[in-house]
This record gives sequence, structure tokens and C-alpha cells, in this order.
Amino acid sequence: MEELSFLEKLHNLQDTYGYIPEREISNLAEEADISRAKVFGVISFYSMFYTEPTGKYIVRICDSLSCYVNDSEDLVKAVQDYLEIEDGETSKDKKFSLEVVECLGHCGEGPVMMINNKTFTQLNEKKALNILKECK
Amino acid sequence: MGERQLLKKEATTDITEHNFSALEKALTMEGAEVVKEIKEAGLKGRGGAGFPTGLKWELALAEEADDKYLICNADEAETGTFKDRYLMENVPFKVLEGIIIAAYAVGANKGYIYIRGEYSKPIKIFTKVLKDAYDEGLLGASILDSDFNFDLRLIKGAGAYICGEETALLNSIEGKRGKSRTKPPYPIQSGLFGQPTVVNNVETLTSAREIIDLGAEEYGALGTEESKGTKLVCLSGDISKPGVYEVEFGELTIREIIEELGQGVKNDEQLKFIIPGGASTSIIPAEKMDVDYSYEAIAEIGSSLGSGAIIVLDDTHSLLDLMVNVSRFFMDETCGTCFPCKDGNKQLNYLLKKAVQKGGFTKKEIELIRSIGETIILSARCGLGQTSSNFINSIFDNYQAEVLQRGNEDAEN
Repeated sequence: MEELSFLEKLHNLQDTYGYIPEREISNLAEEADISRAKVFGVISFYSMFYTEPTGKYIVRICDSLSCYVNDSEDLVKAVQDYLEIEDGETSKDKKFSLEVVECLGHCGEGPVMMINNKTFTQLNEKKALNILKECK
Repeated sequence: MGERQLLKKEATTDITEHNFSALEKALTMEGAEVVKEIKEAGLKGRGGAGFPTGLKWELALAEEADDKYLICNADEAETGTFKDRYLMENVPFKVLEGIIIAAYAVGANKGYIYIRGEYSKPIKIFTKVLKDAYDEGLLGASILDSDFNFDLRLIKGAGAYICGEETALLNSIEGKRGKSRTKPPYPIQSGLFGQPTVVNNVETLTSAREIIDLGAEEYGALGTEESKGTKLVCLSGDISKPGVYEVEFGELTIREIIEELGQGVKNDEQLKFIIPGGASTSIIPAEKMDVDYSYEAIAEIGSSLGSGAIIVLDDTHSLLDLMVNVSRFFMDETCGTCFPCKDGNKQLNYLLKKAVQKGGFTKKEIELIRSIGETIILSARCGLGQTSSNFINSIFDNYQAEVLQRGNEDAEN
């Protein structure tokens, strides 16, 4: 039970670099004695792992049903306009990445946005933009 | 009438404030006796499928192996569901007790709690819970000075709904893509690393803790014949007072849950329908909501209690837009192994989006969509695909006239 699980290793790399660099994929493959393709396959399966650098702040907005009926799409639009990026894009200054995601598990407090590990609930356009302005 | 609190009671995140009475009691019993209590109390899995927990434990106890695993499934991601988060944030030591009791009952020596990666707060809380529990002798060797040894580790998910499916979860813990496995063999026979494995939902394990604490007789006196005890209900959507409520089965109707606990539809709009157990379950129209909240009563009207996520929808939304939203969820979240689920859900989303553009369906299109849905249900090997078209089909069942394209002759064919 002592050794780190593969998922934990990937989390650590993701947290360290903000993405999982190619040389680390090679290291993991060698360590586990599997192909690099296999490691890449695992990484690409999970939406919280990246193989390309992301923005300093990853902004995730939930657009699943409970948030959707509480106007999450208006929130998405406001954030897109403010950051000037679309879903899945990273801003030119590498500060923000935006992702419209499925259920974040705060369905009673929608609409909901996560910035890195922090969750913000009961948002409206103004609140959300104020939070983004605080991201330095 | 109102809430009936068992699980929600005695909230604390401080180990010195929590009374481990249920665990102490369990450790004085034989594993088989604990299993018998759970069976007698009639506990059903609270994650969505409703499989009898006592039976699962009994089968696992009978397995012989060097290692046996107990996994707490905290990969809560069904749309509308946030009850397991509530438990982990408010009564984490009850969750922990449930895990240890289950492990003891089935004879598991190793365990994992798999928490979805987006749940930062529960992850933080449980990291400390595990540390405190090891320090206090509640985990590791000779738990509470008994001869029971059990190690528990936390695994953080990484953003994949499918990993809440038990066999996908096993692959994920093993460091693989979170694809579901073909059953049989069931995890009880060959689960994590090929060893016998019990996977239980957070609320299931916490309920097991309450059963041991109260005794099967007292717990089983709550609820109905087929649905015993209490259930956490998550109210969300167009509702005045959303949140997690604990109800005794059979005590309230769905309408009462919405009107009395949730204070009715918000902004005084008209209720259209509810989804009783997350996006994987069939809708219940407003006029059928005077039904008791129990597994059997909801099954009788053609839906499922699911995870307990009641999503309330008023009549201001476009049904077509709601269908697109739900279909996108399954398109995004399929693991991609079974071709009909991978491609079928994509096709459904495409056809639904097309219908939005032209303002409705022709009857032929409805037939096609139903046929694709049917194919997915029949051929998908796990619960995701098998339930992914419930919402869409149930909209057609109840509101077909409303979603037909108007002014198009073809619509009548």
C-alpha cells in the first residue's frame, strides 16, 4: 500500500507542471514497463489531465441540467466575453483556460464555477467577473 | 411530516467529538453477524442501482483470497446528485465507520475511498480524516485493539463520470483508462487486481453504520416493506429551497417533498415534471407526482429512484433544449468502449440539435431516435449506456405532441 498509485503520480505531475510533459510520459512508461502510447492513453482519458500547458487559472463552468436551468449558459457567455476565449481555449497571456464541463456536484447552488481547486456557487454575471478580476 | 434525520445527525469533522459506537459494536460481533444485520435491515445500494447490500456482502464474505478489497465509491457525478459530498463534508467519521464496518464484515484487509477530483473540500477533509484515524488506531493494525487489520487509502479521481461505474472505477484505481469491464466475473469474485472486491456507495456505507448503531430491527421498522430506512434526497433545478434532505421511505410523496421540503417551484412558476434520480432516470410528469417516495412506488410508475437526485423543471423551458443538454452529458461521458454507446449518444445529440434548429421532430425522426436509444440500451455493457436514453424516451412518452414539428406535413407521417 506504500507505493503511489498511477493516478496519484499523474496528479502530482499535473500539479507540478500544470500539464504532463512528454519527458515525464517517457519516464512513467519506463518505470511501469509499458508503452508511451499506453501512458498517453490513460492521460487522455481523464479531463483533469493535460498534455499541453494550460493557463495559470483553469476556469471550469458547469453546464449540466441543474445549472443549465439556472442560466449557466448566460454565465458561460459572460465569462467567454470577458476572457475573450471559447470553451477549451487558453488566453494568449496564458493566464486563463476555460472549460465548459459536466456536473460539478453543487447542483443545489447553481450556476457553479471552479477556478483551479476552488468552487464558487450561486453565481451571476457580476459576481463571476469580480472573482475573475481577483485572479492576479 | 418532514425530514427524518439519521445520517445527517451528529455532524462533526473533529475526531474527538465523534462517537465510534457503531464500529465498537461491530467489532464485538462476527463478520457474518454484521452481514446478517445488514440483510435483515433490507439495505439497498444508494448509488443508483439499488442492489441489496447484505447480499453483496454475504457473497464477498464467502470468497476466500489473500487480499480482499473494500472500496468506497465517492465518485459522485450523476447530474443533480450532491448527497455524498454532503456526507463527506458533514459526517466524515460516519462514512469512515461505515467503510471499516463493511471491511470487517466481509473480511477485507485493504480498501480505497475514491473521491472525484473536482471535490476539493471532501478530499481535504478525508485526507485529514485518514491521518487522524491512523493516529487514533482506527485504521491499520489491531483496530481499536481488536485483531482486525485494515488499511485505507484515498484516491483522487481525475474527471470522468464513468468511473462511478464500479468496474470502471476498478480500472481507474489500477491506473488504467476508466473503461467498464464485462460482467461476469463480478467484482465480488474478481475485482481490483483480480481479487474479491466490494464496491459500495458513500451513502450505502453510512447507512450500514446507522443499521449497526440502531440494530436491524429498529432501522428496518422505518420505511416500507421494500424500501427500509431513510434516504438522502438532493433537490435542485427550479426549486425554491434546494438542498440535501433526509426522508423516511414511504413517509412523503414526491409532491410533498417538493412542496414541503423544497418550498415548491421557484418564482411561482408552473411545475412541468421532475427527474427522480439524476439524468439517467425517466421523468415523472407533474400529474403523477402523488406517489410515495420508495423504490417500489417509483418503479411502478415506470421510473427509478436512482441516486435520489430530484431535479425539478418548470414549464418555462424548451423541452428540445433540455433533451440536447441531457444527451450532451452522455455523449461527453461515455467511455467509448461499446460502439453503440459511443456513437449512438453522439448521433442522438446530433439529431436533437437538428430538431432544435427546425423547431421539432417528425414522427419518423422520433422513431429513429427511439431506435438508436433502444440499440444502446440493448448493447451497452454498463449502466451508463443502458440508461442514457431514459430521459429522451420518457419525454417522448409524455410530451410527444409538444415536440412534434408544426406546419410540416411530414410530421404526421
